[in-house]
Amino acid sequence: MTNGGGALYVYGVMSAAERESLAVAGVEGAEVGTVEGHGLAALTSPVQGSALAAAREVRAHWRVLQEASESATVLPVRFGTVLDDEQAVRDHLLEPNAERLTELLDRLRGCVQLTVKGMYDEQALLAEVVTSSPSIASLRARLQSLPPQAAYYDRIRLGEMVAGEIARRREADTRHALEVLEPSAQASCVENPSAAESAFDLSFLVPRAKQTAFGKRVRALVEEVEDRIEIRFVGPLPPYSFAEGNREIGGA
Amino acid sequence: MAIATQPRGYVDRPRPSGLVDVIDVILDKGLVIDVYVRVALVGIELLTIDARIVIASVDTYLRFAEAVNRLDITEQGQAEGLPQLMESITSGGAKSKTEGALEGVKEKIFGSGDDEDEDDDGSSRRSSSKRRSSSRSSSSGDGRSSSKKRSRSGSSR
Repeated sequence: MTNGGGALYVYGVMSAAERESLAVAGVEGAEVGTVEGHGLAALTSPVQGSALAAAREVRAHWRVLQEASESATVLPVRFGTVLDDEQAVRDHLLEPNAERLTELLDRLRGCVQLTVKGMYDEQALLAEVVTSSPSIASLRARLQSLPPQAAYYDRIRLGEMVAGEIARRREADTRHALEVLEPSAQASCVENPSAAESAFDLSFLVPRAKQTAFGKRVRALVEEVEDRIEIRFVGPLPPYSFAEGNREIGGA
Repeated sequence: MAIATQPRGYVDRPRPSGLVDVIDVILDKGLVIDVYVRVALVGIELLTIDARIVIASVDTYLRFAEAVNRLDITEQGQAEGLPQLMESITSGGAKSKTEGALEGVKEKIFGSGDDEDEDDDGSSRRSSSKRRSSSRSSSSGDGRSSSKKRSRSGSSR
């Protein structure tokens, strides 16, 4: 595969044996190819300019990895990674990391990432917070009698107290969701909450053969919490959250 | 790839992902290649930084305070909740009173108003994200609320 001499966008790394040609276009609409070495293949495409319209290219990044991982195991590379040329991909990515990447790919083989996100119903959550916390309720009552622009710092304090209460609930709900779901997963990862109303945001590495069992656990969790938390169960994804190798991956 | 709504009670199998579902892991996860080896591209770093909007900000506190004050404890339900907010974001019309913590970024990615899915050419936004990415280092520390500001003003309003 030739990519000419120019800069290359790097999507991910897979075993050279699993490489297939992709039908989807990459960033800037370019054709996706590979740079190979040490039994590994880096998925790449040429980049022309010195700027990428990130808002659009993140979509291309996602699509390429989604398609490539349908039948193969692919280690995603962080969005926005561009190397000088083909030689740089070999010299700085594949060669020095060959052993580690091969080992990671072996550990992830046959697994997919499934994501389980819980979002609180904001109105219900806030009502619960106010009714269960006397100090929040009384500060709220006091502020309600003031004009909207007054008591700026008290308003911040009220919001901070509310955020603290939400954080406590989030912690408990995260712990519980992990307890329910982890038994059918090989590894798990707690993501940073992506929104203020996030109840939990969990990524799981699940063997393809265990997807049904995992799905049953998700259903059990949904049935248990659905009056408070809306759950989004998404996948399969390439193992974004398990590609770094410095994370402990549970024994097979 | 349409973002399908999941029928209620059908959760044994995961829904195929839409970009909105995975944007956080895409921006935050994956193999990281040494910064000295990578080619720096304008437009990319900024998006990554903007994604790290922190929940514990004064903006968020004020929003909570306001939401709590508006709250009608006896009868609830008319303010826009999260599910609707997500919907309006994914359908491109993300003009909502409720400001989600990631709204700035999502507006950037999904556009606000222009053709929602595949084909926005991003060129209009390119210039707005063309600020120097020398502020990268702020991603780890205190520059967070300022990066939030930046994302707000950078998104097309």
